Amino acid sequence: MPSLKPKLDGATMKDTPTSFALPVVSDKAEATPAHDHAHDVVGDALDHAAAHSDASESGYGRTYWRSLEEKLGKPEYLEESRPEFPEGADLPPTGVARREFMQLLGASLALAGATACSTRPVDERMVPYTRTPPELVPGNPLHYASGMTFGGHTSGLLITAREGRPIKVEGNPQHPVNLGAAGPFEQAFLLSLYDPQRARVLRYRKEPRSLRTFGEELVAGLGRAVTENGGGRVRFLTEPNTSPVLDHLRSRIQQRMPNARFHSYTSVTQDAASEGTRTVFGQPATPLYDFSKADVILSLDADFLESRPANLAYARAFAQRRDPGEGNLNRLYVAEPRFTITGGMADHRLRVKSQEVLAIAAAIASRVGGAAAGLAGAAAAKAQLNEAHTRWVDAVAADLRAAGARTAVVAGERQPAIVHALAAAINVALGNVGQTVRFVPSATAETTSAAGLRGLVDEIKNGAVDTLVITAWNPIYRAPVDLGLRDLLDPATNPNRSKLTVIYSSLFEDETSAYADWFIPAAHELEYWSDGRSMDGTVTVVQPLIQPLFNGVSTPELLALFLGEPYRTSYQILRDFWRGRAVAGTDFETAWETWVSVGIVPDTATAAIAGTPNVDAARALVDAYTPPAAGELEVNFVADYKVYDGQFANLSWLQELPDPISKMTWDNAAYLSPTTAARLKLEPGDVATLKYGGRTLDVPVWIIPGTADDVVVLPLGYGRMGLHETVAKEVGFNANLVRTANAPWFDGGATLEKTRRTHKFALTQHHWRMENRPLALDMTVAAFRAEQEKEKTKGSTVLARVRGDLEGANLLPDFKYEDYKWAMAIDLARCTGCAACVVACQSENNIPVVGKEQVSRSREMQWLRIDRYFTGDELNNPEMVMQPVACVHCEKAPCEYVCPVNATVHSDEGLNDMVYNRCVGTRYCSNNCPYKVRRFNYLHYTADKTPTQKMLMNPDVTVRNRGVMEKCTYCVQRIERVRIKARVEKRPIFEKELQTACQQTCPTQAIVFGTLSDPNAQVTKDHNDERAYKLLHELGTKPRTAHLIRLRNPNPALVPPKPAEGQPAEGGH
Amino acid sequence: MAETAAHTAAGIDPLEPRLLVAAHHDDKSLNETLLDHVWAKPGKGWFMLFGLALAALGLLVLGVTVTLARGVGMWGNNQPNGWAFDIINFVWWVGIGHAGTLISAILLLFQQKWRTSINRFAEAMTLFAVCCAGLFPLLHTGRPWFAFWLFPYPSTLGAWPQFRSPLVWDVFAISTYLTVSALFWYVGLIPDLAALRDSSKGKIQRIVYGLFALGWRGSGRHWHNYKIGYLLLAGISTPLVVSVHTIVSFDFATSLIPGWHATIFPPYFVAGAVFSGFAMVITLIVPARKYLKLRDVITDRHLENMNKVILATGLIVSYGYMMEHFIAWYSGNEYEIWTFYVNRARGPYAGVYWLMIACNVITPNIFWFKKCRTSIPIMWVASILVNIGMWCERFIIIVTSLTQDFLPSSWDLYSPTWVDWSIYVGTLGLFSTLFLLFLKFVPAVAVSEVKELQLELKHAAHHGSHGTDTAAAGTLTHGAH
Repeated sequence: MPSLKPKLDGATMKDTPTSFALPVVSDKAEATPAHDHAHDVVGDALDHAAAHSDASESGYGRTYWRSLEEKLGKPEYLEESRPEFPEGADLPPTGVARREFMQLLGASLALAGATACSTRPVDERMVPYTRTPPELVPGNPLHYASGMTFGGHTSGLLITAREGRPIKVEGNPQHPVNLGAAGPFEQAFLLSLYDPQRARVLRYRKEPRSLRTFGEELVAGLGRAVTENGGGRVRFLTEPNTSPVLDHLRSRIQQRMPNARFHSYTSVTQDAASEGTRTVFGQPATPLYDFSKADVILSLDADFLESRPANLAYARAFAQRRDPGEGNLNRLYVAEPRFTITGGMADHRLRVKSQEVLAIAAAIASRVGGAAAGLAGAAAAKAQLNEAHTRWVDAVAADLRAAGARTAVVAGERQPAIVHALAAAINVALGNVGQTVRFVPSATAETTSAAGLRGLVDEIKNGAVDTLVITAWNPIYRAPVDLGLRDLLDPATNPNRSKLTVIYSSLFEDETSAYADWFIPAAHELEYWSDGRSMDGTVTVVQPLIQPLFNGVSTPELLALFLGEPYRTSYQILRDFWRGRAVAGTDFETAWETWVSVGIVPDTATAAIAGTPNVDAARALVDAYTPPAAGELEVNFVADYKVYDGQFANLSWLQELPDPISKMTWDNAAYLSPTTAARLKLEPGDVATLKYGGRTLDVPVWIIPGTADDVVVLPLGYGRMGLHETVAKEVGFNANLVRTANAPWFDGGATLEKTRRTHKFALTQHHWRMENRPLALDMTVAAFRAEQEKEKTKGSTVLARVRGDLEGANLLPDFKYEDYKWAMAIDLARCTGCAACVVACQSENNIPVVGKEQVSRSREMQWLRIDRYFTGDELNNPEMVMQPVACVHCEKAPCEYVCPVNATVHSDEGLNDMVYNRCVGTRYCSNNCPYKVRRFNYLHYTADKTPTQKMLMNPDVTVRNRGVMEKCTYCVQRIERVRIKARVEKRPIFEKELQTACQQTCPTQAIVFGTLSDPNAQVTKDHNDERAYKLLHELGTKPRTAHLIRLRNPNPALVPPKPAEGQPAEGGH
Repeated sequence: MAETAAHTAAGIDPLEPRLLVAAHHDDKSLNETLLDHVWAKPGKGWFMLFGLALAALGLLVLGVTVTLARGVGMWGNNQPNGWAFDIINFVWWVGIGHAGTLISAILLLFQQKWRTSINRFAEAMTLFAVCCAGLFPLLHTGRPWFAFWLFPYPSTLGAWPQFRSPLVWDVFAISTYLTVSALFWYVGLIPDLAALRDSSKGKIQRIVYGLFALGWRGSGRHWHNYKIGYLLLAGISTPLVVSVHTIVSFDFATSLIPGWHATIFPPYFVAGAVFSGFAMVITLIVPARKYLKLRDVITDRHLENMNKVILATGLIVSYGYMMEHFIAWYSGNEYEIWTFYVNRARGPYAGVYWLMIACNVITPNIFWFKKCRTSIPIMWVASILVNIGMWCERFIIIVTSLTQDFLPSSWDLYSPTWVDWSIYVGTLGLFSTLFLLFLKFVPAVAVSEVKELQLELKHAAHHGSHGTDTAAAGTLTHGAH
């Protein structure tokens, strides 16, 4: 059908494009090698290319190609051979190149540039501005709203671009979930845009092809598929879809091919919640919580402060209630198998096996009674409550009952549907629905769990599928092992494989691409137009910030190919879609412009489900529930805090980010409790053989206090093969190799046996105790009030030390500050330790990544670290407290007087400035820093930056050379930028316009920055707060960063009486 | 004098009981014994040692090349251990140098004649030790090519060093020390260089030694000026014995790190320096005097006296340790208490700590016994132990204080890399190379001074019966009897 043939701007395209990174394949026909689907398809492609290359053309012949093969996957090679790179993208932003980038920028800005943004892959010349648009001032950053989709949620982002290069990701303040914050994943998202290891060759098996060829073959193939049986042999495997435009494309594909099927898969699925709520509400729903109204919160293995998707909004609201200045503290109960960030914030944390959570939920539900009683009774029959938990359960239930409708019960995605149903039942029974909880229809309607893939797997196995289109990220790696996807797509093991054509689109050549027939390099989400819904339904417009760097194809454009329509760019697809939805009579253009600039489409949030919940309908779940196998150890799979399920594994910022709990970098480990490790005679760093479900896996072991006994925790996302992704390559072990679709999160019956081998981990913090030093202060409200009383009268022990009078301790005169007095305050009560600030700092300040070997030598470079201490007497069940520490900018800085060359000096606004080009690197300043916040470039860590990676650098911040000391500057570049503006406008700097990078992204607003010279500034108020203290105050360094004491709000019923706490103990003083 | 009378009565000087110059030599035989080894073809042993030293020197070249090419990150230093082997070895080498200055300058000023036959040796040791020491601060900087910024010079940038920093004081202290030591050594060498010139058999040697002898003819006027100049240099050197290591100790004492921040550091460092310096002299001189056949001029009495100094300074060092621990406890400061009682004594480097105690506190006490003081093998082993102990002391001070300071979150251990070791061994090689060259090309013993001593002894012997001119001469008389 010629009419369906897409017009892919074919004029400039060739079948054997000279512009691709892979070598041009000669025209000489030769038999293709027999092993069509060998494992290393890309390596074979190169072999093939080498065999077919025309030696006379290059003059090097085989040697040349062989060396290429050797270099394959190395960034240098990929960088060197990149002729298709957008014009000027690899040039420094000067002269004409910059102007061209201004144009790209304009393209992403507004309508005028719209077509320019989608001209790829046509090499379209742009005419430099004769008169620059007023918003474009070279050297000034511009900000654009965009978004990022993963795990069934689209985050609203605000992206800073410099001369056409996006350099920083922040949360969109207008977005209802982000509220200006962005987590580690969102921020590191930018790094993946510039990843030089991204795939850049569209290929059919081993041969590079053009998009046009792909389109033509698809049309030919699909023509058959469509005409034969309505696409009955075509299957799609996608990410959980939240995007209205993709939804629209899908429904149109379904119209054309009514028998084609779409499947979705993600490792961290919200299916259990959907299923649990579906029984109660009659449709798959998502509970949305308003923690600002909740006085008592119960988390049933829910890491709601960190696990996706709505955590940023949750964290903000939750933290607001941890600040005694904002009213009474809330109280958080957490029952969970391992320490999570949420567990660290708990007032009462119960460490239990995952399978015990159901019994706890049922027991609490039955004690709460009401609507939940019936379901609870049924569930309790299935799960016996552990005697030892009775007291905890009683106290929690009593507390929940007492607080009534000002409570919230949250169930985690790792728990089965019945726990979600019970949580919903308790919320219903307490009257929380409509108060602290509202249930909205799920953003992703389809199932996204591994169990949902079974049908697809069977179809492929039976040869019922001709064409499998995979846009989901790397299913072969991340699908549970028992689905056998790898074997399914491997012709060696699947006899029906030859009938199947696998089309795979991804950012990287990865585990799955090795088995794909067609591989289509995907465009990064910041390279094309799209949209997506957030948890509550709000639609974010995802706009590109840059032309596709590596010739990637966007998902909308790829899906549109299946419609057999004339080629449209992602921009046209998106706009056409939204124009079609425009309400008649409204001005679409104006509305569109607003949406794009604000980033969200207003009034798209989903309305809460109105119907009456029917709790007892969930009894079916109880009947369907089968308890996990009994056995020695309970195996627990968890999404990793740093690489999630592995899709961020190639992002070096995240690999080097210390895990919030274990402080581990560049690794995962099987986490055990101290007791369990002792019982199994395992030491940290031992390698043990995990046997579970008939499979074995060698895992290195690490001990984390607070892990439930007889539990082994396996974080997902590691053990990537790293075909091209050299950062991710062979980091950690792949927990998916023992994960099954039946028990994707936890199951009993695992064993661990010690092997003789050991594994070396790279941790950034080795010492877990504070050694009774008053560092990260953490006390109960009652204890704090008692301390305050003592402080008023005769001096308290702790408070006097951390903020008492230091009269006479300073011999040197104080500095005089006449203008701004920059200062920071960090509220430990709000800080969850999520590490978003660490990534923000890394991104803002061009902080290098040093690699596992250097981290294990304790040379990590992050300026901002989060100290994690375990407190409490019991080794197995401690409490956790987080303390972000960066340079505290001492007024009496010990680093300043020891520097022999004046490279670290005091500014007249109180900043402790580091003069990089004066530093000779004696490291004396670091030795003398009691906070040990200085970081030294022991090697030339920034030496190997490729041109694309250099595009990421913030031009306002020096890239440091080897041999130079560096540290937190309080984001001095941000201060100076607003100072320029303020000076031009002849006014002081406003508090609102100046935020440090860490402060900006902090989801809980734990970090406050400003000038102490302004008595009304928040930072001044925080410095004068009753909880404020200075770290190592007794040294007389006079830090400009104050920490605010963390307060806990324990339930008196659960606190053992402490005789030593009273007055008599202090009488002796 | 009363002293003399007492000596006469006792028949022996209790302080100087043994011979300073064994056997009677005339100038000629002294020339032969003391200059012979310069003219003699070096033996197999010398070449073997020299080869070994050059091999070690090769390690230094390798280590330095790697450091300069790749960066100071090739060392084991990290966060929080900004300093480690670099400064340990720096302090250790500077300390070793101290014996030379003490022997040369202070003993000269106090007219301790027993210094005569070992001062050249000790001075050379000082010089080479300071050379080795000086390498470390230079190399340990992140950007050694800018290390000259530590010197005050009129830069076009208008930037000056920061004079509050002890590292700048170090620069002055060490460069002064090197200059003065070199001058002192060279000035003392001039008469001997002239003697070498005069006794040389080849033309080239004569020209070379002649050049270095600066036209020394041994006239009375020369001797007069020389004596004044030498004494002046001794006077200038004397404060350096105290000041250099005091200033080195300021690198630590002025900081606020527990384990560094201590007022006892200056005297304790100076004593430690002398302690290790004398130990190093013993280590080197015992084999040297055997193979160079210098027993007649470097007598057992010299060695015994040095052992007494080792004992005395060792006791001061022990007192220093005691006071550190006492003050840590007495202050009640938990960071100090942690450093001294938990981290050092029981921490990850406790082995090094106890080795230090064994070597520095226990070992010198054997010198209470005369038998140990005079036994060559015992003193040689003890001197090596002391050097090991003093190296451990610097390790303990620098590394343990940094590994665990205020915030436990930042605590991390230190372990040296092969580059650290090769640079350390390499400086031992540099030191040995220079020392072997020194033994080969210049008289290891100050010939002119020994001759002078010999004359004084003779003179004293003649006039001994009717009183002595000086107390010193008197002492010597009895020593010689």
